[in-house]
Amino acid sequence: MNFAGFIVAQTLNAFSQAAILFFIACGLTLIFGIMRIINFAHGGLFMVGAYVGYSTVAYTGSFWLSLLIAPITVAAIGGIFEKVFLSKLYVRQDAGAYLMLTFGLAIILAQAVHLIWGPQPRSVAIPDLLRGVVVILNQPFPIYRLFLIAIGAAAAIALWQFLERTRAGLLIRAVSQNAEMVHALGTDVALVRTGIFMLGCAIAALGGVLSAPLVTAFLGMGSTVIIDAFVIVIIGGMGSFLGSIVGSLLVAFVQVFGAYYFQDMALAIIYLLMLLVLIVRPGGLLGKEQ
Amino acid sequence: MPLLECRGLTRSFGGLVAVDNVNMAIEAGEIRAVIGPNGAGKSTLFNIITGVLPVSDGQTVFAGEMITGLPVYRVVQKGIARTFQLTHLFPDLTAHENVRIAAQAQHADRWRPLAGGHVLAASRKVADEALEQMRLSRFSGVKAGMLSHGDQRLLEIGMAIAQKPRLLMLDEPTQGLSIEETDRAVQILRDMLAKGDLTVILVEHDMEVVFKLADKITVLHRGRVIADGLPDEVKANDEVQSAYLGGLE
Amino acid sequence: MRERLVIALSAVLLCLVPLVVPNYTLTLIVEALIFGLFAMSLDLMVGYTRLHSFGHAAAYGMGAYSTALILLHFNLPLPIGIILGVAISVVIAIPIAWICTKSTGVSFAMLTLAFAQLGYAMIFRFKDISGGSDGIGGIPRPAGPFGIDFFQSKSGYFYLVVFCLVGSYLLCRAIVTSPFGAVLTGIRENEAKTRALGYNTRAYKMAVVVMAYGFGSLAGALYTPFAGFVAPELFFWLVSGRVLIMVIVGGAGTLIGPILGGICFMLLEQQLSEVTELWPLIFGSIFIAFVMLAPDGIWGLLTKRFRSKQVVPGDGEDGETSRATP
Repeated sequence: MNFAGFIVAQTLNAFSQAAILFFIACGLTLIFGIMRIINFAHGGLFMVGAYVGYSTVAYTGSFWLSLLIAPITVAAIGGIFEKVFLSKLYVRQDAGAYLMLTFGLAIILAQAVHLIWGPQPRSVAIPDLLRGVVVILNQPFPIYRLFLIAIGAAAAIALWQFLERTRAGLLIRAVSQNAEMVHALGTDVALVRTGIFMLGCAIAALGGVLSAPLVTAFLGMGSTVIIDAFVIVIIGGMGSFLGSIVGSLLVAFVQVFGAYYFQDMALAIIYLLMLLVLIVRPGGLLGKEQ
Repeated sequence: MPLLECRGLTRSFGGLVAVDNVNMAIEAGEIRAVIGPNGAGKSTLFNIITGVLPVSDGQTVFAGEMITGLPVYRVVQKGIARTFQLTHLFPDLTAHENVRIAAQAQHADRWRPLAGGHVLAASRKVADEALEQMRLSRFSGVKAGMLSHGDQRLLEIGMAIAQKPRLLMLDEPTQGLSIEETDRAVQILRDMLAKGDLTVILVEHDMEVVFKLADKITVLHRGRVIADGLPDEVKANDEVQSAYLGGLE
Repeated sequence: MRERLVIALSAVLLCLVPLVVPNYTLTLIVEALIFGLFAMSLDLMVGYTRLHSFGHAAAYGMGAYSTALILLHFNLPLPIGIILGVAISVVIAIPIAWICTKSTGVSFAMLTLAFAQLGYAMIFRFKDISGGSDGIGGIPRPAGPFGIDFFQSKSGYFYLVVFCLVGSYLLCRAIVTSPFGAVLTGIRENEAKTRALGYNTRAYKMAVVVMAYGFGSLAGALYTPFAGFVAPELFFWLVSGRVLIMVIVGGAGTLIGPILGGICFMLLEQQLSEVTELWPLIFGSIFIAFVMLAPDGIWGLLTKRFRSKQVVPGDGEDGETSRATP
């Protein structure tokens, strides 16, 4: 095994990992930026996305259709949750209450998945088109992971352009700066909030579907991934979209290379990274100083 | 030796110099008003004296001791108490509890997690007195957030005097008050000042209030001191007239 | 006074429990009481200082593991082992508190979470000592000191736990009503103002975090010799989440509420998880209902009637006119 090939393969691995992480982290950071809500249920929604994706593939046989149906389903769940529960708490201005509420949802989602799909993991086959490997510098590399990198990058660019260039994006950024002012200017802030919550949920579900062929859909996937996503959002800066990209890359690289070079410390290393960032920059790398 | 001496205090925010080389000396027992049009740098001056904002340049000497760069709580521990332009209270605690926490801050055993009954008793007593002085005793058990705006401002002053400060800094105590409320507040402040040997710095917009209360006046304009002296001298000063007083009347 | 009577009465009733309930139920009750103590310790931070910790499992885990290692490797009497376990945890909690209190709000919550997860990771890192994912089993419940073997029996251990719970409660109660507690309340209501009054709020926050970790680690330390084993899950964030829920459902800022919340939760879980698979679903729904409808928690609901009868001191009519002016 040559060294260059190894590095390239690991780097690509890290990029594909970062893509999955980005799907969950960016929704988390967007929701926090607009609504000041730490959504603990985000991991659960990611998991529901994976399971719905599994069922779609099972019934229709089409992986591509699942990329559509899972986000729509999960966005609907998120939208209902936001309207029925979260929106009632905006007047209370209590960050703790959101945390609790979404934690409650996370518990319910986990149990609901357990009831509907049972305890055993569900594997999703990689679609024919993306099966197989390519050889890069004498190293075989799965095409599916390359596909993840591509779709992750595409999603990041699309979202970034959406936030920067479109009217809706401008509105979202304005609400995150000063919701009252936007409200006074005649925009329905409640609608923006519901919209952004649903968008965040849909992106997470997309991430869930995409990760299912790699790791299967399993019951603990939500609680594992949510902590990684928190770490990313904290490192990148709460509410910063670019921060979620940077954080995803950083965490993915540390995980992939850390698992190889510091096997003993693999679990601890991302928390150490997070502590380090918070001590040096309490607001995160790209976040506002508190 | 003056109680408080500002030497060349300067604070800039980016390109804007909010406080520009301010020199000011306040003798013990003096009531000093700091006046000036909006944006003259009065509140910024307060904030850099009390350590809420760091200075860009200059020094503050309090009772012969350099206090520049100390954190807020250390400055306050030296004996400087202040109120804020926008009322700063514990809205969910009762008026009495608000003042009690303020009074306790000056007690040597304020940190006691156990065996601190004497601290609480002493603070309670000071709080009763301070509320009495502010004529708020009847609201003692009412949550601070439920009080009228005028009473909240008085409550904040009550908290400041409960700290038994050597220097009391009041940032626009009558801001947002109705005419009657202002008269009442001025009356209470006058009684308070007549009683003790308090040293006070007062930022105020209302000229009537200033002339009723202050011994000396410092006029700030665009961050600089443009006049400094007895009320009548300041009134007669041409520069002050054109910068400020004339513009208002 | 009435409250004191109620507390004394419930303590006496608690002491009668081992005489009337079967052995198996006693096990459940002991575990519930330990969890009640754990929830109360978090209330010092969440309810009294509004420091939302999402990593309180760290306190429990540290207390449990350090006590486990001491009892396993040194031949010490049980109470000494527990005291040493708590002492070690408190020492570790000091730097944790120092770092966490550098930030506030959400960052604070995430820093506490990071430390708990770090603890979790460390258990896997130092497998030789900690047993890794298998945990540590066969932890003894030694006799002593002076040959007292009272705590070795289950009912004896029950009394030890009751003693610790009541003692900790009285201590915490003294703390929150002390001058120190008044400052904590000030920090909860308006930290900037508290600092402007001359309090070094960071020092107070550090102190309360260390105290909360101390009482939390006592709960962990009590759990270890009773269960006889420890596992890395004690550090896991779901434990932190659950205990935070118990504080809220019980009634944050009341001490007694979180104790009740913790006890009810454990007993309910143990009972219901046997009869129905739906327990987490029910639990999640109850929890959401509390957040939405009863933010003051169980204790808030219980004392509501009493409180509404309380007369607000001060002159009512004047209060009205005073409020009417803008």
